[in-house]
Amino acid sequence: MEFGWTAVEQMHRERIRELLDDLLPPDWEQMSLHGPGSDEQTAFSKDFCAELASRNLLVPNWPRAHGGEDAEVWQQFILGEEMWAVGEPRGPQYMNINWVGPALMKYGTPEQLEKYLPPIREGQAVWCQGFSEPSAGSDLAALRTQAVPVDGGYRVSGSKIWTSYAGHADTCFLLARVPASHGGAQDKSGIVILLADMKSEGIQVKSIPALIGEGDIHEVFFDEVFVPEADRLGEEGQAWEIIMYALQHERVGVARYEFSRRILDRAVGKLKESGRWDDPSVQEKAGQALMLCEAARMLVYRIVDGKARDLPPDAYANVARWAIVLADNGVNDFLTENLPEGLLGEDPVQQAHHQRAIAAGVASGAAEIQLNLIARRWLELPSERTRT
Amino acid sequence: MNYGLTEDQQAVLSELERLIAGTAPDGHTEPEFAPYCEALDQELAQSGFLDIAREDGFGPLDAALVVECLARAPQIVEAAASALVGPALGLPVGLRPVALVEHDPLKPARFLPRAGVLLADLGDRVLQVTVDPDRVVPVDSLFAYPYGRLETLDGLETKDVADVATLRRRWRTALAAEAAGCMAGALALVVEHVKDRRAFGRPLGAFQAIQHRLAMAAETVESCKWLAFRAAWSDSEADAALAAAFAQKRIPQFAFDLHQFSGAMGLTLEFSLHLWTYRLRALSGELGGAAAQARQAALATWPEAAA
Ligand SMILES: Cc1cc2nc3c(=O)[nH]c(=O)nc-3n(C[C@H](O)[C@H](O)[C@H](O)COP(=O)(O)OP(=O)(O)OC[C@H]3O[C@@H](n4cnc5c(N)ncnc54)[C@H](O)[C@@H]3O)c2cc1C
Repeated sequence: MEFGWTAVEQMHRERIRELLDDLLPPDWEQMSLHGPGSDEQTAFSKDFCAELASRNLLVPNWPRAHGGEDAEVWQQFILGEEMWAVGEPRGPQYMNINWVGPALMKYGTPEQLEKYLPPIREGQAVWCQGFSEPSAGSDLAALRTQAVPVDGGYRVSGSKIWTSYAGHADTCFLLARVPASHGGAQDKSGIVILLADMKSEGIQVKSIPALIGEGDIHEVFFDEVFVPEADRLGEEGQAWEIIMYALQHERVGVARYEFSRRILDRAVGKLKESGRWDDPSVQEKAGQALMLCEAARMLVYRIVDGKARDLPPDAYANVARWAIVLADNGVNDFLTENLPEGLLGEDPVQQAHHQRAIAAGVASGAAEIQLNLIARRWLELPSERTRT
Repeated sequence: MNYGLTEDQQAVLSELERLIAGTAPDGHTEPEFAPYCEALDQELAQSGFLDIAREDGFGPLDAALVVECLARAPQIVEAAASALVGPALGLPVGLRPVALVEHDPLKPARFLPRAGVLLADLGDRVLQVTVDPDRVVPVDSLFAYPYGRLETLDGLETKDVADVATLRRRWRTALAAEAAGCMAGALALVVEHVKDRRAFGRPLGAFQAIQHRLAMAAETVESCKWLAFRAAWSDSEADAALAAAFAQKRIPQFAFDLHQFSGAMGLTLEFSLHLWTYRLRALSGELGGAAAQARQAALATWPEAAA
């Protein structure tokens, strides 16, 4: 057991930091204010990701057979940590690298790999994740969007909500249900995954004004949209397995605590400059916010360590998610209390952090769902439905 | 970065678990507030596990692993200060159990009735007092440690040690590692309890109100453990204060919830929960408590000069 970095890992981190210094424009802080899904950041992500690709730093985690480097798990993780810490200059594309690509590699047809992987590894693809619906959030399996089998494919009708990046996406990783009238099962096995071209006729995207970043959440309406059978990922009935595989990759991919930690470091610098740091109660609260960040870091590292050592996945991802929610909110509360001017136009980065933090307990699965899963899978407590 | 145990660490911990199992109290002993386990204490003294930090190829991390593992057991023995504080302050091998106290060497201290040595943090120096057990007045308390105090230092051998910072740093790490183990022991007991006990036609553990708080307790246990191990590994001021701050901050809610889910049973000595929670409650107040530790963590992480 040890908690240090190897010389190679340290060099890798240094290299990425230098690269970020080189590649990020002088007004990056202002640009990152609006979040990874904003017009500006999405456009910038295409230049930035192309630069990463040319240095083999976009998809190093992928297998060589698919254009990656078979990079060590920790190398990829360090890259993600550094990216997230500066406000994710890969924009929406982090998603492709972390889970869309890997899910395609595991379940896609040769034609699908040919079609979708090159734009991802060249840093030119924007995807969105069409899972949640107005009446299916936490209870994802309640989704109602219909995929009616027709000659050569499906006709999709229904609506998705909270879809990040939909305004710029080329392709939607879409979940829909084959209706019972067409032989679809009523449970999870009736769901299909369609890789829907966002330019298809019948798709309408509406941005939802919100407290969080621009371009973060949308409604997407599907009106009899045709999706060819060739764009179905996996078999009918296999969708849930694929979703679980994809989410497993999605949910540890984001080193949110690192952004919180950096913003906390900055905040302490500001408090020192203005003389407010001398207040012992400010020091105490900063120490408490720090301890939440570092706890989240240790738990996330435990998951990455499991991957690096090829251990079977366990419920630690849920334990870590809860710690991340506490860390993001703990730091955010400290900032809002002690540096309110940051939310009054003085600090775009603090505001960007605030907007991420307030969504931390909801996006990618509500915090309470994480607690349910910890209870069930980690503590092995009985299901809520148990009756004796 | 590697969270796995080395083969040596695995061997040490499995031998330790064997010693713990071999000295487990049988079900017929009268329940007590703080039954000191002489049998395990002797096994530990003979086995050399508490000196692991002094051995070639081992260090404070291995000592913290030993401390955490021991604290998970219901048996109460002095281990944390012997394994983590003593070696760093250059106490001779075998001079133990080690009792720790702040400010005033005559204050009640954990383990003093059994101690070989008392280390008192006097602010600018550490006073090392060789303890004569006949001179210790036992102090009754609800805390699950034997407490005692000295009435005077007259006639006792004392010595000044300059390095207060080392004492405090290792004390914090020791406290965090012991708290992590106590939390794990307590949580395991209560999780079993809520699986067995039924109310309203289902196990208590099927109620979401209980599940969520136990899930939060699980995060507390895991975070506390890894922060403590990292502190032992780095032996840094900031990591030690952070680990202790985390443990102390979380103890009140943790202890409240676990007693709550044990109902009236949790208030009896027969149900062994207090053997962990009343160690935790004692630990929560040491070194000035959570607020002092959090401040210390902040000051060590963001030293003045770096502003
Ligand atoms: C910034 C952001 C980006 C998002 N991006 C996407 C995206 O790109 N694609 C996509 O498909 N979705 C996306 N989502 C949606 C997200 O996955 C859902 O918001 C989330 O799964 C929760 O669903 P909901 O909002 O419908 O909340 P609901 O399911 O209505 O739940 C509301 C609250 O009720 C509580 N709750 C619900 N169920 C339980 C339960 N079983 N036990 C206890 N408490 C419970 C929780 O506190 C929960 O927060 C995004 C959300 C946010 C905030």
